Amino acid sequence: MPRVSKGLELEGTVLECLRNATFKVELQNGHHVLAHISGKIRKNYIKILPFDRVLVELSPYDLTRGRIMYRYRN
Amino acid sequence: MNTVQITRVDETQWKALADDVVVGHGDVFARPDGRRFVSIDVWDDAAFEPLATAMLAALPAPLRTLLAGDDTGALSRWERAGFVLERQEWEYLLSTDVVIPSPTPGVTVLPAGTADESELRLLDREIRAEVAAGPGWHTMPAEVRPGPPGDTLIDPSLYAVAVHEGRYAGLVRVVRPRGRGPARIGLLAVRAAHQRCGLGRSLLAHALHALHETGTTTARTEVDQSRTAAVTLLEGFGAERTGHLLHLVHP
Repeated sequence: MPRVSKGLELEGTVLECLRNATFKVELQNGHHVLAHISGKIRKNYIKILPFDRVLVELSPYDLTRGRIMYRYRN
Repeated sequence: MNTVQITRVDETQWKALADDVVVGHGDVFARPDGRRFVSIDVWDDAAFEPLATAMLAALPAPLRTLLAGDDTGALSRWERAGFVLERQEWEYLLSTDVVIPSPTPGVTVLPAGTADESELRLLDREIRAEVAAGPGWHTMPAEVRPGPPGDTLIDPSLYAVAVHEGRYAGLVRVVRPRGRGPARIGLLAVRAAHQRCGLGRSLLAHALHALHETGTTTARTEVDQSRTAAVTLLEGFGAERTGHLLHLVHP
């Protein structure tokens, strides 16, 4: 199924798990963002770990913040 | 923020727009047992209520959602939308480097992949029937696994089995990690007639030892807070609480 546009989405790699379900993610363009886990991921019991490749939706208000929308199979 | 416009994108997705900027979205997902779980992710709190209103109007009750236990802001928003707390879970992380207790007399554990498949499937059906007739699957952490309808045992090679009094009486399903992360203990269950005989302890000890032997250092699992026997078992093996999940329902 084609993905529906939901704003600014970029792929990245999880560098570090921080407190309160927050992750430091390195985007493909080299930028680092702080990303929370999305409700969509949480309700499917998907766990995020360092080195996971993820799809991050960036905040339209702050491009250093994001939300992990999808975890790719490594 | 200007007025939020809600659009249903397809059968499972909604999005909230303000000034042509996506400020939130909602999703619904039906579990294999038919229960519907929704989620709402917003960049502005003002988008939450219109999204929740649109989804609640379009979807049949009951609807469920999962929240992190420490996310009090999200809990307030969902409660204002009419959701109530249904149950709570602990998330645990276990080290696989544990002192293995002495074997329970009369209990033999068959390593994963060695059990007779037809007897294992029978045990799985019996256990699931007992849970359905007793506490109910709604009290169990709900792992979502794809598989054919009606078949609950997807990959027999993942299950170790406890044999007690000559019968298959308990099982544990362990999913090994994709990389360096923890393994997952997806199910640990013992038939009612064989409970309180040390089978759960033997199965968990076996699972952790087998992981340790192959270089996996940690395992994770979830337990309903009300299931005190399971909580006691895990914490007896030194399991560390790493998270707290809230299950909310809109009746």
